[in-house]
Amino acid sequence: MKNDKPTAKVESGKKIDRVFRTVTRRKVLSGGIAATAVLAAPAFLHKTAKAATGPIKIGLPTVVTGGYAELGSHVIRTSKLVESMVNGSGGILGRQIEFVVADTQGNPAAAVRKTQELVERHGCHLITGVVVSSEARAIMPKLKEWDTLFVSHGNGDGRLTTPQFLVPNFFRANVSAPMGARALALYLKDDPAKEYIAIGSDYAWGQSSVKAFDEQISILGKKLVDKVMTPVGNKDYATYITKVMRSGAKGCYVALQGDEARAFYTQATQYGLAEKMPLYTEIVSQSNIKALGKSAAGLVGGSRYAYTQDTPQNKAFVQAFTKAHPGQLPDWTDGEIYQALAVLFAGMKKANSAEPDALVEALEDLEVTSIKGAIKIRKCDHQGMNPGIVVKVVDGPNGAVPEIVKIYSREVATPDCGKTTFS
Amino acid sequence: MDFLGFLITQCLNALSQASVLLFLACGLTLIFGIMRIINFAHGAIFMLGAYVGHTIVVLTGQFWLALIAAPLVVAGIGALFEMFLLSRLYARRDGGAYLMITFGLAIVLSEAVRLIWGAQPKGIDLPEVLTGVVFLLDQPFPIYRLFLIGLGVSASIALWQFLERTRTGLLIRAVSQNPEMVHALGTDIRIVRTGVFALGCGLAAFGGILATPLFGAYLAMGNNVVVDAFVIVIIGGMGSFLGSVIGSIMVGFVQVFGAYYFPSMALSLLYLLMLTVLIVRPGGLLGKEE
Repeated sequence: MKNDKPTAKVESGKKIDRVFRTVTRRKVLSGGIAATAVLAAPAFLHKTAKAATGPIKIGLPTVVTGGYAELGSHVIRTSKLVESMVNGSGGILGRQIEFVVADTQGNPAAAVRKTQELVERHGCHLITGVVVSSEARAIMPKLKEWDTLFVSHGNGDGRLTTPQFLVPNFFRANVSAPMGARALALYLKDDPAKEYIAIGSDYAWGQSSVKAFDEQISILGKKLVDKVMTPVGNKDYATYITKVMRSGAKGCYVALQGDEARAFYTQATQYGLAEKMPLYTEIVSQSNIKALGKSAAGLVGGSRYAYTQDTPQNKAFVQAFTKAHPGQLPDWTDGEIYQALAVLFAGMKKANSAEPDALVEALEDLEVTSIKGAIKIRKCDHQGMNPGIVVKVVDGPNGAVPEIVKIYSREVATPDCGKTTFS
Repeated sequence: MDFLGFLITQCLNALSQASVLLFLACGLTLIFGIMRIINFAHGAIFMLGAYVGHTIVVLTGQFWLALIAAPLVVAGIGALFEMFLLSRLYARRDGGAYLMITFGLAIVLSEAVRLIWGAQPKGIDLPEVLTGVVFLLDQPFPIYRLFLIGLGVSASIALWQFLERTRTGLLIRAVSQNPEMVHALGTDIRIVRTGVFALGCGLAAFGGILATPLFGAYLAMGNNVVVDAFVIVIIGGMGSFLGSVIGSIMVGFVQVFGAYYFPSMALSLLYLLMLTVLIVRPGGLLGKEE
């Protein structure tokens, strides 16, 4: 493949177009071999554009509008922060980095279309920042065709790193749904309660999270009395809260995100659900803590990232973040996109290249010291081995704080290779 | 006893859901009934009400003031839109033009809200009186939802009386039946149209601010709710006020009990209800066939 690279350097899309057109016209006139040359042209020009020495372009096909817009806004704000930090200190491989944002609205079909635009129109052959698992699933089969690398920062569906969906150009730097559920289940081992109920958003991530929690607690000899799956975009949780309260369970596992989570917690607080049974969740997020207000205290959950984690890298990140966004604290998406980008950059340094093919090789078995400690990107299933963090929300003088109560080692917290289960 | 308590809680859940939807649906049906315009911007106006209300709460700390002022502000914006843009299209008598301009308004409003308030969702703290729960046969029920039901019932009665008993109400109904005749009899129907459009927007904004303590103000908040409102208007009959009230209650009950007993069919039940009504009464429950 590498030998195909032409010597001429073509930089902008416009120029490519022009070259392409003139070549075509001339060849068509000369006839004969023209047909083959024209057919071959797009692929070969496409390679050239990527090899340019300009800034390294990273596409963010994320949610700008729609139900998950808040998560998308976190992706964008921390990417911008990373952009200024990296470019301010000389860039990567001597090149500046540049993020290009596209709005997928959380819709898989739109995600494919927007990512294709990022690849073909903007020349982004590296993407991250995809918010919804079903979007990631829609994009993944196209990666090879687009010659593009996709590093997940937040896609939780456990199956993405199983043979069912995994493709060579996909890596997951983040904690998946089964991993979040695993950390929590390990923690619940000591809980005297035997019966739980789960409420989850009825799509890929929510189902995956609830299923993993179910499997994990059944190993501990506990059980789920009911699974309440709620439609995506649901707003009024009154009837579901009533169902949870009547279930007789001694704890409620919540697998909801973004606007849904906030609506659920706000309404659950109004019904006094937390006084009736403890709430557990796969991901404790800052915005949920905010929504819960005083009643956030006591919420226990897995945490993909907690800003309270005590590592030098994290302290530096939190400091930079609060300087850029006074009065705000990084949420889990901020931490995970920061880590995903750190993984990507470490890969670039290892490969001494920003080419997808070279990066795939470099990312396999890559060791990175990230804000969450030592992370390893496994070669066998492209899953990032992350520590399993469990936090408990405690009331502090400046509002509720997610205090880390337990960190499980990355070996215990990551599922078996290519699986969603743990041995 | 336990089951009775459960039943009461669920009925109240349904009524409180219906209350929020009611304000949205009433606005929609009023605008359609009088002006023959399907207002595609209704969801965005609902959202605008929530954001304006949130700002008033932040600035003054007064939830009650926001409840009154936010709908007035949004009604004012609605009136301006009607006077300066929508009214220019009446002469065309073209449904497509209304569709395009209200759809455009929806996009403009959504983007304006993003520019002004940003992507971060906003919450509202309720005043002390409205927080907490009451126990109904040992089942806790939030006071705020009881407040919503009370508002829904009183607003329905007030609007109904306004349309049936007052002279302005009579004029509005007359315009919906025969605008040319009302005009010929010496009433400026432009004012009636502006007023009705403003009223419809104000009602949607009122629904928006009432919904904020339940699920916060955020950019997509109008999206699904407005679909429910359209379903209500279709069930109740396009342009029928009482139909919307009945439709809201039906949708509230179907959503609450459907989601409880048939969770996997929760969404489709709503449309099954709509289909059934359309098959039995194609014009909606209280609507006229056209």
